[in-house]
Amino acid sequence: MVTKGTFLDAISLENVTKSYDSVTAVDGVNLQVRQGAILGLLGPNGAGKTTTIRMVMNILVPDAGSIRVLGQPVSDKARESIGYLPEERGLYPRMHVRALIVFMAALHGLTEQEADRRAREWLDRFELGEWSEKRLNDLSKGMQQKVQFITAVIHRPRIVILDEPFSGLDPVNAATVKDIMLEMREQGSTIVLSTHRMEQVEMMCDSICLINHGRNILDGDLRAIKRSYGKNTVQIAFTGSDGFQNHPSIIGINRFAGGMEIKLKPGGDSQEILKAAVQSGAEITRFELLEPSLNEIFIEKTTRA
Amino acid sequence: MHKIWLIIKREYVTRVKTKGFVIGTLIVPVLGIAFAFLIAFVGSHQPDQSLRLAIVDNAGGLAPSVTKGLEKESQNGKREFAVLESVDRPPQPQAIEEGFRNRINAGTLDAFLVIPTDLNQAAELHTRNPGNFQVLGPLSTAVDQAVIQARLSARGIHVDGIGQIVHTEDLKVIKVGESGESVERGQTIGVAIGLVVLLYSALLAYGIVTMRSVLEEKTTRTMEVLISAVRPFDLLAGKILGVAAVAFTQFVIWTASLALLLAYGALASAMVNPNSAFPEIHLPLALLFYMLVYFCGGFFLYSAMFAAVGAACSNEQDAQQLQWFAMAPLVFCMLIYSFVLSDPSSRAAIVLSEIPFFSPVLMALRISLQTPPFWQIALSLVLLILTTVGVIYGSARIYRVGVLMYGKRPTIPELVRWLRYS
Repeated sequence: MVTKGTFLDAISLENVTKSYDSVTAVDGVNLQVRQGAILGLLGPNGAGKTTTIRMVMNILVPDAGSIRVLGQPVSDKARESIGYLPEERGLYPRMHVRALIVFMAALHGLTEQEADRRAREWLDRFELGEWSEKRLNDLSKGMQQKVQFITAVIHRPRIVILDEPFSGLDPVNAATVKDIMLEMREQGSTIVLSTHRMEQVEMMCDSICLINHGRNILDGDLRAIKRSYGKNTVQIAFTGSDGFQNHPSIIGINRFAGGMEIKLKPGGDSQEILKAAVQSGAEITRFELLEPSLNEIFIEKTTRA
Repeated sequence: MHKIWLIIKREYVTRVKTKGFVIGTLIVPVLGIAFAFLIAFVGSHQPDQSLRLAIVDNAGGLAPSVTKGLEKESQNGKREFAVLESVDRPPQPQAIEEGFRNRINAGTLDAFLVIPTDLNQAAELHTRNPGNFQVLGPLSTAVDQAVIQARLSARGIHVDGIGQIVHTEDLKVIKVGESGESVERGQTIGVAIGLVVLLYSALLAYGIVTMRSVLEEKTTRTMEVLISAVRPFDLLAGKILGVAAVAFTQFVIWTASLALLLAYGALASAMVNPNSAFPEIHLPLALLFYMLVYFCGGFFLYSAMFAAVGAACSNEQDAQQLQWFAMAPLVFCMLIYSFVLSDPSSRAAIVLSEIPFFSPVLMALRISLQTPPFWQIALSLVLLILTTVGVIYGSARIYRVGVLMYGKRPTIPELVRWLRYS
């Protein structure tokens, strides 16, 4: 599906291609990110996600195709409206934490007073207040990660690109980051989230773009995609016999504690499974017919290709 | 412009606050003074022991007056020479010489002088250490005077104390400049060599600071976020200007402390001995101005080259190898500066000092020795500025591509490709 980027799109890529020497990292990718949406940019390792992001940031120049940010061709000017948390983390290790945040914010156009005020707010929110005057390399990895996240969002960018924002964060801080992202969406920011944590994507993203071998193989509204797969998944919690698992309608099983997730073959009837389970003597506590999880879709799409 | 200013400020503040800056700023003047004292000490060094000498006098009758001449040359109550033995017209000079050679090798004699039968031929000094130039002057004076005395005697003129008759004072050198004349006591050469060493070490040291600074942003992966907020050219410009500001601060501190020290030295020596001549060092304003101009030009030229090296490499080891590209012209200047020093207006010196990579050192050197024609200065400045602009442009391109390249060190063809990359 190729649609012309309109002014409604925060980011729009058309047939973007990028090769390094003999390797084609990105091969004709098309992507539209609606303003005010959260897009999950998914794909296996080495699929071309980071290269795509770097081209949007105008760090790399595509060999072919066009990229527009807020309706304008990418430029050094355009990327000022983007907040960026790169996959390759790193900030000046010997700078003091708050001075560093103020410096980065000032580079993004804030006055130093305003940058300092916001830096204090953000440091408090992430419980880093007492570390403000410490050098960055005195902080733990997780704390450095939070500092880096602050530098990506402190200037309230209209577009935020976050490459694996949750890596290295404990559940409490991961929840804080998630809350902030949802707040930013409410304030009208557009967020591109590149991650391998499918449950985060399912919780937060409005749409997804799945890239593999440099091509987008699946994109669009997350609910619509899941709906298109139909309810082909059964979650069953039970005790006792699991003798029903060889039923001919079952083509895949994913076990969990106290039950399993069953994938039905196309046209398979879930009621047949329920009957077989009861007959085999299983004591069923829950039986639910579901859309496939994003995890399942991801594995199916990327292993088949 | 605002962003360049922010980069300059960060570079300056973080650098000036480091221990390295404080220590470097304090240690360089201390080391400089220590070196000055060391050079003065070595320069005025008197031999601890007299040179043990033997004389083979084939002409005959000269050895006593040579010996006398050498006695007169002794200074400060210390005898430079001790004539242990002299042989007058030996029947078998070879055998005698062989004996002296053995004594030199045994360590009981330092040298022996052979006066030829025919006084129109040169005398010979056989010594274990031919590099000891300090003894050659007094020795040849003593031999000269003995020979002159012998020749005068042959014409019937008998004189005693020939040394007093033929002795003259050394030449007094007076430097002619546009602003008048000044008595030369070695300060022109001193200032010139000091200037070369200062320019060379400053260009090299601050170039490497710039390179390290670029490399640090790469190795700590700060570059990726920086580059998302700042254009590479602004980043490069801010970095070079920031290091320049640090260099300027350091120079102001050094110059001020040197001026204070000289003033104190002049005052102290005037109080101890009102007649003592503290060597007056002439630093005309024009020279200071040109020095500053060439230093700035050289600074931007070399900083841009070192920054490109930093951008092209991803670790210190690679950078140490590639930095030779930037260092080679500077090292070349150090190898040939003495050649320019001895003849600053030779054609080779003129050509070399017009080449932009050398002019920051060599043209500054020529200006300090004898002001070259204005067109030569103007031409070298135009060439320097044009080259600097070109190199900064090229470096910015290498920088643009290189700052995000990690992994293996780029080859030369790859670097050329980066230059063409738009």
